[in-house]
Amino acid sequence: MTQAPAVEAQPGGRTDLLFDEAFLRRLEQLELASRRLTAGRMKGERRSTRRGQSVEFADYRNYTAGDDLRQLDWNVYARLERLFIKLFVEEEDVTVHVLVDASRSMDFGEPNKLFFARRAAGALAYLGLAHLDRVSVAFLGDGRADMLRPIRSKARVLEIFRFLASDRDERLTGLAAAARDYASRLRGRGPLLLISDLMDPGYLDALRDLAGTRCQLSVLHVLAPEEVDPHVPADARLVDSETTQPVEVTGDDDLVERYRTRLTEWQAEIGAFVARRGGSYVTVPSDLDLADLLFDVLRRRRVVE
Amino acid sequence: MIAPLALIGLVSLPIIVAFYMLRLRRRDVPVGSTFLWQQLVRDVEANAPWQRLRFSWLLLVQLLIAALAVGAAVRPFVTVESDLAANVVLIIDTSASMGATDAGGPRIAAARAAARRVIGQLPEGGHVTVVAADDSAHVLVSETDDRAAALAAIDGVQATQLPGDLTDAFALASALAARDADSTVVVVSDANADRLPAVGIGAPVVVERVGDTDANQAVAALSLLRRSGGAQLDLFVAVANPSTTDVTRRLEIYADGVLVDARDLTIQAGQRAEALISSVPAAALSVEARLAGEDALAVDDAAFALVPREGAVRTLLVGPGNTYLENALALLPRLELYAVGAAGYADALATAADEGTPYGLIVFDRVVDDPPAGVPALYVGPSGDGPFGEVGALIDGPALARTDPNDAVLRFVDLSTVHIGRARTVTLAEGMRPVVETTREQPLVAVGRVEGRTIGLLSFALSDSDLPLQVAFPLLMSNLTDTLLPTVDGILPPSVALGESIVVDLDPAISRVSLGAAPDGAAEGEAVELDVVGGHLTLPAARVTGVRELRVVSDDAALNGTLLGRTAANLFDPGESKVAPGDPLRIEDMGRVGPANGAASLPARAEWWWPIALAAFALLLLEWFLFHRPTRRAVARLVGRA
Repeated sequence: MTQAPAVEAQPGGRTDLLFDEAFLRRLEQLELASRRLTAGRMKGERRSTRRGQSVEFADYRNYTAGDDLRQLDWNVYARLERLFIKLFVEEEDVTVHVLVDASRSMDFGEPNKLFFARRAAGALAYLGLAHLDRVSVAFLGDGRADMLRPIRSKARVLEIFRFLASDRDERLTGLAAAARDYASRLRGRGPLLLISDLMDPGYLDALRDLAGTRCQLSVLHVLAPEEVDPHVPADARLVDSETTQPVEVTGDDDLVERYRTRLTEWQAEIGAFVARRGGSYVTVPSDLDLADLLFDVLRRRRVVE
Repeated sequence: MIAPLALIGLVSLPIIVAFYMLRLRRRDVPVGSTFLWQQLVRDVEANAPWQRLRFSWLLLVQLLIAALAVGAAVRPFVTVESDLAANVVLIIDTSASMGATDAGGPRIAAARAAARRVIGQLPEGGHVTVVAADDSAHVLVSETDDRAAALAAIDGVQATQLPGDLTDAFALASALAARDADSTVVVVSDANADRLPAVGIGAPVVVERVGDTDANQAVAALSLLRRSGGAQLDLFVAVANPSTTDVTRRLEIYADGVLVDARDLTIQAGQRAEALISSVPAAALSVEARLAGEDALAVDDAAFALVPREGAVRTLLVGPGNTYLENALALLPRLELYAVGAAGYADALATAADEGTPYGLIVFDRVVDDPPAGVPALYVGPSGDGPFGEVGALIDGPALARTDPNDAVLRFVDLSTVHIGRARTVTLAEGMRPVVETTREQPLVAVGRVEGRTIGLLSFALSDSDLPLQVAFPLLMSNLTDTLLPTVDGILPPSVALGESIVVDLDPAISRVSLGAAPDGAAEGEAVELDVVGGHLTLPAARVTGVRELRVVSDDAALNGTLLGRTAANLFDPGESKVAPGDPLRIEDMGRVGPANGAASLPARAEWWWPIALAAFALLLLEWFLFHRPTRRAVARLVGRA
């Protein structure tokens, strides 16, 4: 087995993106759940919709000319005098898609949402590589998807980490356009994990396009603690980090209560939308420990197994 | 309106409104995205500098506060008829009883409040003289129409520990009233037993009575005597209860600051309880009797006494014999009396000298001779010249002139009922001073220091007066012997009353002395230094209870700091200890009844800014509450933290 690398990178020059060896070893015990069986191109560790050569029996079918005679079940022929070909489950690789929203709104909060998203994406990508899956990582921003070509070898995980740690200069999300861009260029199916704050008017279009790829969509909805429980001064001008458009508010109990109610409704809307498309929706505060996210939250939501 | 200029403050009203019309300068708060906020906030307006004025409770409250503040600042008033004259003499009693604590707080604070009310009732154009009165009068502000100055003076008034005497204050008020017929004298006092002048004044007197309690007990007497040849001290203590309730108080006795005795005394209302205590160590220097616990007046709960020196003074009475004089001298505990006729005087001196027991005091009754060198002498009814001066003709029926009650020789001595049949004129020697004189300034009683010895003189024979039949006689004899003899602790009398000045004769070599609190009976703080003029020193009156001591201040290191004497100052004033408010009529009767010359009441300004200010303050609190009321979240956070 390839030794798990310790990885260090500079995400936006903030804090080291650092996974220690013990954490990576724990990651290897997890596996991204793929409730839909997919057809890949290379042998991997996942069951494929294709029948192939493995030790796991799948089914029988009638012999037709040209079939490999080694696959004939001679025992059945002895009993029934009919030729049947034994089919085995062929284990194939899948492509794990990890999409990170890199808009300016993600570069906010304490802890920073984008930093959290980079680390979560790195961990999930490593998890895929550890199980011999192909991993595709992309940043969504400014209406396009900045993709790293798919990587299959765990030895190349550093490329993913360096990509995730690279400086980003995206300003607006343009989430719907970026998601459509990624969906159009998508190669290979498998789990698709979107890590975003979804603070974009086109978030539903984006989710619809990503779910339409027939990948197993999982949405990690990242929110900073101050977005979950905001503290607004009495007379404040809230300045949007993406558009710099201000919103003047008078911070009082009523406003905060209405905000919290709206946030809860919004999360419920997204959850329902994703569930209808067979996906998973997980709200993740950016102050959540990464280990808790992977070994507890995502496991309970069956995103990983 | 007293201060119409304050109306300028109304400018603040449109300014407040303008502030509300100006758009708020809001604090920029960066957020990741306003995506959700935009769905919540509907009333986002264009970024204009002005906005439409909308109703706001806060605006209303602030406008009201500003208006009320201006309303109070202009000091509105209504014109009312004043009961006071244009010239007001305001006398504030600051005697010891005003230091009592009533149910409503310190009595002197109530007096200040009453005095302030009087200032508020001054008629227009009126002026006021504020006088603080303890045992004398102190003018704080004189005939001023500046109410602020008068109020400031009133605010500085404090109760003293001195006995009350309104004589000086009324004399002053009388003089002021004589200058202005339209005068009123207002006395703020508890009206309890203050000494009053014999004659009234020509202006109405109004009493603002303060005080409500009578719950006070006092150490009324404290006396120390040596018995059994000086080996034992007897302490006599009397505790008075002038209140209307029987009480039990704990009496504590301290010798040189150490508790030596404590006992409970039950004292019936209006009575005294006495105790004779023999547990005071003979070697003690001073004794303090203290009532434990609290009552209305603290100053009379402690009294101090100095322990007399051991041994009595051998005293020789020379003369034909006088039972009254012999008895009076024999009763004095400090004297060990011997009597001899004029013919035996020389032999008596010789015998005493042989035995080594010289006389410390010679009393010549109708005999004139020289005492031994340095020995004090008292001459009674001298028929010839002596060290005191030259004797002249007889005068019949001399009338006594007014005496100085503060003179130590006349302490507790009332000579008003004494009649003298005849006396001799005396030309006093240098160093002698008259204590009691006739109306023609002939000395009847004199003391002084002549040729290194102290001399006392009664210029009339006791048989020529009814003095020996009066209570004043033994007191006078006691005071005279205290003056002539070195006292218990040096040159000072063992005990003085508060407010009493002392004149002492000192060695001419001493030019400067220091008077301060004794370490074991401290009452006063800093020591004061005094100059000795011509061998005489007038000690300032003690204003607080306690033991004071007099020491030499000199460049000569051997002399500097030498203790000259100690004296204990006590209140011992039944009138002050009886703190129950008295009958104000007793004081009001000192003045004329009714307004001067039938003058009509004058208009006065009754200001009513304070309810406006109070309303403004209440509204300010309301505004504070409206703006800073605790949010539900803050409450939840606090509860969570708890």
